[in-house]
Amino acid sequence: MRRLVLSSLGFLFALALFAQDNIDEGKNLFRTNCATCHNKNMKDKLIGPALGGVEERWPNTEDLHAWIRNSQKLIVDGNPRAVELWKEYSPTVMQPFENLTDAQIANILAYVNDVFTAAPAAAQTTATGQEGVPVESNSKNYVYYILLIALVFLAFMMSRVILNTRGIVNAEASGEVPVKPSFWSMFTNRTVIGFAIFALIVLGSYTTVKNGVALGRQQNYAPDQPIKFSHVTHAGLNKIDCQYCHDGARRSKHSIIPATNTCMNCHRAIKNGSTYGTAELTKIFVAAGFDPNTDKYIDDYESLTNDEIAAIYKKWIGNQYMETAEVASLDADGTRTVEEQWANIEESLTSDTKPNLQGPIEWVRIHALPDHVFFSHQQHVTVGKLECQQCHGKVEEMPVVRQYSTLSMGWCVNCHRQTEVSSFGDNNYYLDSYKKYHDELEAGKRTGVTVEDIGGTECQKCHY
Amino acid sequence: MKDNKVAIWIGQKDLNHDPKFMEEAGNEFARIPLDKMAESSTLEQVGATRRDFLKYLGFGLGAATVAAACEIPVRKAIPYVVKPDAIVPGVANYYASSFVKGGDYCAVLVKTREGRPIKIEGNDLSPVTMGGTSARAQATVLELYDVNRIKGPGRIADGLVSDGSWAAIDKEVIGALRPESKIRILSNTLLSPALHAAIAEFSAAYPNTKLVQYDAVSSAAMLIANEQQFGMKTVPDYHFDGAKVIVGFEADFLGTWISPIEYAKGYVKNRKIEHEGHATMSRHYHVESHMSLTGSNADNRILVKPSEQGAAIAALYNEIAAQTGGTRVNAPAGLNEKATAAIKAAAKDLLANKGASLVVSGSNMVSEQLLVNQINLLLGNYGKTITFEHASKQRQGDERDVARLIEEMQGGQVDVLFILGANPSFDLPQAEAFNTALEQVPLRISTNSHVDETTGRCHWGAPDHHILESWGDVEPKAGVYSLMQPTINPLFDTRQVGLSFLTWAKSAKLSTGDQPYHDFIQELWKENMFPHQSEYSVFQAFWDHTLHNGVFNAGGNTEPAYNAVDVSGLQVRKPAGEGMELSLFETVNMGAGQYANNPWLQEMPDPVNRCVWGNYLSVPVSFDGWKTIEGFAGLKDGDLVNLTSGESSLEVPVIQQFGQMDNTFGIAMGYGRTAAGRCGNDIGVNVQSLVQIDNGLFQYYRSGIQVSGKAGREDHFACVQYHHTMGVKTLDKNGDEINADEAALASVSIPFFKKTRRGFQGALTDRSIIHGAHVSELETFLEELHEQREEFQHLNAQSLYPDYSDHYSRGHHWGMHIDLNACIGCGACTVACMSENNVPVVGKHNVARHQEMTWIRIDRYFYGDFENPKTVYQPMMCQHCDNAPCENVCPVDATNHSSEGLNQMIYNRCVGTRYCANNCPYKVRRLNWADYTTADLWPINEHKINQEKVQFYADDLTRMVLNPDVTVRSRGVMEKCSFCVQRIQEGKLNAKKEDRRLLDRDVRTACQTACPTGAITFGDKNNPEGELTGKFKSPLNYIVLEETNVRSSVNYTVKVNNANEALDA
Repeated sequence: MRRLVLSSLGFLFALALFAQDNIDEGKNLFRTNCATCHNKNMKDKLIGPALGGVEERWPNTEDLHAWIRNSQKLIVDGNPRAVELWKEYSPTVMQPFENLTDAQIANILAYVNDVFTAAPAAAQTTATGQEGVPVESNSKNYVYYILLIALVFLAFMMSRVILNTRGIVNAEASGEVPVKPSFWSMFTNRTVIGFAIFALIVLGSYTTVKNGVALGRQQNYAPDQPIKFSHVTHAGLNKIDCQYCHDGARRSKHSIIPATNTCMNCHRAIKNGSTYGTAELTKIFVAAGFDPNTDKYIDDYESLTNDEIAAIYKKWIGNQYMETAEVASLDADGTRTVEEQWANIEESLTSDTKPNLQGPIEWVRIHALPDHVFFSHQQHVTVGKLECQQCHGKVEEMPVVRQYSTLSMGWCVNCHRQTEVSSFGDNNYYLDSYKKYHDELEAGKRTGVTVEDIGGTECQKCHY
Repeated sequence: MKDNKVAIWIGQKDLNHDPKFMEEAGNEFARIPLDKMAESSTLEQVGATRRDFLKYLGFGLGAATVAAACEIPVRKAIPYVVKPDAIVPGVANYYASSFVKGGDYCAVLVKTREGRPIKIEGNDLSPVTMGGTSARAQATVLELYDVNRIKGPGRIADGLVSDGSWAAIDKEVIGALRPESKIRILSNTLLSPALHAAIAEFSAAYPNTKLVQYDAVSSAAMLIANEQQFGMKTVPDYHFDGAKVIVGFEADFLGTWISPIEYAKGYVKNRKIEHEGHATMSRHYHVESHMSLTGSNADNRILVKPSEQGAAIAALYNEIAAQTGGTRVNAPAGLNEKATAAIKAAAKDLLANKGASLVVSGSNMVSEQLLVNQINLLLGNYGKTITFEHASKQRQGDERDVARLIEEMQGGQVDVLFILGANPSFDLPQAEAFNTALEQVPLRISTNSHVDETTGRCHWGAPDHHILESWGDVEPKAGVYSLMQPTINPLFDTRQVGLSFLTWAKSAKLSTGDQPYHDFIQELWKENMFPHQSEYSVFQAFWDHTLHNGVFNAGGNTEPAYNAVDVSGLQVRKPAGEGMELSLFETVNMGAGQYANNPWLQEMPDPVNRCVWGNYLSVPVSFDGWKTIEGFAGLKDGDLVNLTSGESSLEVPVIQQFGQMDNTFGIAMGYGRTAAGRCGNDIGVNVQSLVQIDNGLFQYYRSGIQVSGKAGREDHFACVQYHHTMGVKTLDKNGDEINADEAALASVSIPFFKKTRRGFQGALTDRSIIHGAHVSELETFLEELHEQREEFQHLNAQSLYPDYSDHYSRGHHWGMHIDLNACIGCGACTVACMSENNVPVVGKHNVARHQEMTWIRIDRYFYGDFENPKTVYQPMMCQHCDNAPCENVCPVDATNHSSEGLNQMIYNRCVGTRYCANNCPYKVRRLNWADYTTADLWPINEHKINQEKVQFYADDLTRMVLNPDVTVRSRGVMEKCSFCVQRIQEGKLNAKKEDRRLLDRDVRTACQTACPTGAITFGDKNNPEGELTGKFKSPLNYIVLEETNVRSSVNYTVKVNNANEALDA
């Protein structure tokens, strides 16, 4: 019976997950392909029509798919719905998306529908998640707990029996009336106290050592950053290569937090963020001294006061608000938005040691090795040809970056023990310096050369 | 018979079997009795008491507990706003530039990290220094971050420069200058053509301007002599590499004289033994009283008193003239007999090598320099070993001009005086007269970087950039140019002195660009240098190329006619006869005091007397012919004596110096600064006033002096000669010779061990540390050596353990080769190592307690005659033994061996038991007794040197010099040479990245690149084509302490000399 419940639960969970996957993919596709022209609230017109309820407006799905792939063809063919739309929106032509598969289009439509009907899909999944996964693990733990309690109870019973028996035996031997040992005396006898102290010391030492070893480690550390920079948007959706911004990884020991001017390479053009609008992106303009109102860098920016800077960027935020809200002047809501955003910008870009808005952005460092550790990104990225994700996790899926690995020495050493040197057979350095290993490989005496074999676990590989 | 059975010794202490020293030699660490510590005046330096210790211990435990519960502090990661193209954080950039200080010159590459210079390397492209460096050049990077530098322009009062601005100072100066003003600019030798041009611009605006150049250690007589004889007021170009016989008269050409890096490179070419079969090498005679660095490298030292120098030169001249038909000169009588005989021998050798010999003299007497010129002329050396095409410009100073300036100032004839880098109030012998006269000058402006003795007496400070912040050009030799480029933005509000002069002159050549002085230099080069080449047709391309290379060669002088001069009337100095005489000299590290505020140079032991943080009066030692060596008047090292000369008397500490001529003494100049800065103040004794002036020229000796007996003891006598010794011998109870560090072994009472003591390994009395031979006996000697080494190797091979030599055959196996015939002991490697590896500076007090931290030391050994011995310098660093005794004894495995043969030291594992140091036969491990670099948590562990307020290395400015690739060690941690493992790692990574094999140039240690003579070679023993493999094949090689079976990775060559054995020494 329980099995049946479990499996059906699992099935439901999988189904929900699958649906969620479709909507998620649809969301991604929508944001990359459609969001430029179609409003993402699905209710209002932007350049193109609002997409909410689009499926009902089209007579059949095939036509809708054909329209999305190539609208002009459908118009020429004289499809009535297509002609109707062309009349309304001409001369704006919908961009053709011939590469989209049926499944992808279905996903986009699922997402559109999802948003339009405002069904809280997200809430659904979390709910199912809570039901789904933990049930199984809880049930396992539950069994252990029951077993444990049963054992403790058994031990307690046994000791009581033994004590009682011993009491009786002793009493008989001495001829006294047997006294039933009290409940209390069971816990106060020397053996139990001794054992308890011993257990405490062992447990205490274990915990101390364990915590001591972990001291200074910060796996899963995901602090708030001064800018809500999303790797999902940049590395995930827009598929910007990690090393476009972290350009030190291939040529230096540091991967390098990109300089503000690296951001400006793209954000001179993209001035409005997809998620936060002006709220976050304005921060890099403020740091770099770029005036988005005029599309120019501000002359002599270093000498401006914070108030002068505030005036420039408040104007920008206000203008953007008016454009989006389609109002001619700043309403109360707008003023509040401007002030709120600016207060946040000011807080993010200044600190006790940095009173000025201009200048570098003070990111919170997440990955930090102790000073006595030498680590080189280029060794791992350029020579070892590792993927960034191997140590940093799927950063492209992290809206807020967190430390994925422990970055402990054990973690490093384990990897060095297990990993074979990837370019051992083709890098001339290894070919020349490790002839003996190559001979052994050829003779079949060894199957591979791990990093450890070439000294990768020796102290002075990292500590000097 | 002066020689005894002792073949080699380190000083009088081991010859005399000084019981205290013998005990010290047996112990790794000096014992500091606590009661003595309490007595010492620096009790506060002791810092922590037991109570404190308990407090900190308690707090430490508490803190650790709290820390465990606390969050990790938030760290920031701050990127650039606009990243400069050239900078990749974590990757070093190198810029070609020049080191210049007065006449000292070295073409360098400056290593910068994230925009800050951290290390100096030599520039291989320079025809002058050829990639070599000196200790002074290496240390200049620390000078950049000197906290005592003047932070900006302003009015000077009470040793401080008040806040001023360049606009204010320009207004003041321009307002005070009139076209008719009498202006004097006082400087040391100026090597920059651009600066000369800027001063010319200034002179054009103010025609009554005169540039006065002088050098505290002067070569004026040579300039004057060459002007008289050849019509060129210059130092000629000496080619030591072409000389088979060299005779030096007091000229310290390997250490300090004119262009030591260049000369050492040439000198060593004929000293290295390439083929042992028919080995040849040059012969070097040196005539002096005090043992100089050059003298210590000579084959024969001819001892003459300072006042006999002239007689010696005249004697040599007459010997040569007699054979070549020159006119005789009046040689004053009084030259000692031994020297007379030796000079005869030298003359014979010179005459046998006409055109391939060289005679140089450091004398500052015109007549003597003329005689030396004449000797070279008679020997046909001009045009061969001495030329003028690329005559040296590194000494241009003429102190007669300074005397004239003082007169003018005294007479109120100078309206404005500019001090340009010089420090006459300290380094002139007539400093007092100068100071009085200075008061008569209405406007005094100093461009010096510090409020030094002279600047403190000026009205305005207009500080110049440090050379690493400067644009500039240098002409060290005629037609040989090099450029200087900034490697960091100016740290303070300073301005280049050339720009200041252009500004004050309101020159039309002053551009309005961002970097007007750079534009000025460019214009000059466009006019003067660009036409001298044909490679580039566009100036910008030429400029970029030259800036990249750092050096440029144009045509030099035309050779003058080698005229003879009439010598018959020349009068050389008269020997003073009996009585004590004193010679004054410059040391490698201190110069004439201009390097005093550099703690790296203060802590670098003087190569010859091996003292640090101070100057010491060298007193002669005498041998009683039977068993004891005694210092002059029974003086011991560190005793204070009164040095009396005429009216003045100075209290100076002494050092017993082998090779110091009887009844003569020597003391280094450049010490006793009072306004050098936090590290250089009150270090040593100021002896500048003892320099005599004769015919207007400085004479660095004095006769008729008196040295008293012991008048006291120096507080912290710091000489490293008897620290970290190896193989010192002593006598056991029976009078048998044993090793001092095995005194305990000798007391074993088991008869069997007593008998076999001499037999088993590690207990051999004759330890192989230094091997030396005369060049003529080299072949026989090598046969013996090889036999001995074979025996060692045979014994070493007898092991119960399996052979593990295969272990190092897979990848690299690092090794080093040191050519003792090339090592001149100059100490450049010591400073380079401190700079590369963040080696702490500990100060005099701690050096006195044997706690110096240097990873590479240059051991000095003597051999031969007790009263005039020969010297061997042996660079000693961790030998990276493949059977390392230090590794076995570490209880926490903080030191172990890598598969590449490196003896690894892991600081964060080390708990400071010091077992390893105790077990190291080479004595190269160093413990951080205090927190010298402020690396750890407890401020109480910090350590101050020279009574400074803030600990050295504690301030952010000084810390900028630290190499970010090397861990800064904290207290209680052992450290030692790592074979520059950070460079090994970098080199390997570069090879991997470029998908190629590892080349020799990828991995070169700091000591190797610093060495001016190429004495050190580092490389992979497993690379059959590597330079090291070639050097390892030399039959001259031996391994220090090979008999101990520690399997060192360092090979040394046998020290070979080419002494004229007919002479006594």
